[in-house]
Amino acid sequence: MSNSISNMNQVFDKLKDLKTIFKLGEKVIPIIQNLIQFMGEIVPLLETINKSISDSTQKIPQATNQINDVTSATELATTEILDLVDETSNQLMEVDKVIGEIKERDKQANEKFDELVNKLNGDETLVKLINEYKELKDNGSNIDSISETMQKINDNSYKITLSLQVQDITSQQLSAVNHLIESVNDKLTTMVQEIDHSDIKQDFEHISASIPQGVSFDANAKYDPGHDRQDKVDEIVSENQEKATQEDIDKLFS
Amino acid sequence: MKKVILVADDSPTIRKFVSFALTMRGFEVVAASDGMEAIEYLPSKKFDLIITDLNMPNLDGFELIKSVRENEEYSEIPIIILSSLAGSDDIEKGMSYGANSYLVKPFDPKRIQYEVAKYLN
Repeated sequence: MSNSISNMNQVFDKLKDLKTIFKLGEKVIPIIQNLIQFMGEIVPLLETINKSISDSTQKIPQATNQINDVTSATELATTEILDLVDETSNQLMEVDKVIGEIKERDKQANEKFDELVNKLNGDETLVKLINEYKELKDNGSNIDSISETMQKINDNSYKITLSLQVQDITSQQLSAVNHLIESVNDKLTTMVQEIDHSDIKQDFEHISASIPQGVSFDANAKYDPGHDRQDKVDEIVSENQEKATQEDIDKLFS
Repeated sequence: MKKVILVADDSPTIRKFVSFALTMRGFEVVAASDGMEAIEYLPSKKFDLIITDLNMPNLDGFELIKSVRENEEYSEIPIIILSSLAGSDDIEKGMSYGANSYLVKPFDPKRIQYEVAKYLN
């Protein structure tokens, strides 16, 4: 008898639990219905987003290739310009050598003129004639002017060399952009793979493989043709060297 | 006899710039595209000086300096760092690894000629 009462109590307890669940269900069911409706609306939207991400990501290799093409083109152009600057500098050096020879010959010619004047025994007409001829032959000021111009060309070659280094800096900045694109691509790949493991995954595997790897760059590379950066570096280097000397002194006295 | 300088930089244009600046001063330049290639070149010639970038694939400049300084045969070769990195951490690290000078990119050709001459002339 007591067993039957106990069993009945258990049944009542279970019924109470069931009633609680039903009450909860009454509250939850509309939420679930709303959720189902929401899912019904969101799934096509997600598919659209998914497709859009897939389409965009397929364009990433194109973007990275274009960036690489720009780098290669500027690299080639820079090398060509530098070759020309190199050639110009070599030609300037040759001209400079020739000018040196001309100056030496002029010096020798002047010595000969002086010898000649001394041997004319004061014949004023001849001395005057010889001096006029010497003045006409004297190219000293012209040669100095040519040397000055050559020095300016040489200085400009240096400046061109300095300016052309912008190519190296931009190529590092472009590599940093490529690296950023690669990171975005990785994130997108992971995201889309989680949404859909079917055909899109294959697309992404293909895309990931086509992005160049192992490129080294400084994302903070700056083109600053002034001396400020080098001055700061020199300051740090000299500070370091001073520190090292002090440490050495400390060691000696320890 | 011409002094020989080993230049390690992954940028072809920088290799060209450095070669341009130094060959016109009568130095012979051998160029390597990264630290690993530079190490491979070391036994091939008697190098009088090394100029190295820091950011390089395969083996970076820090590791190159470390390898050179750890090798008895090459440990006395002067090393000049030529890098776009200009932070005090990089400079201090480079110098502590055993570099002799630190030049920042873009560099003044006259300055690099001066630094090289400081050790070789």
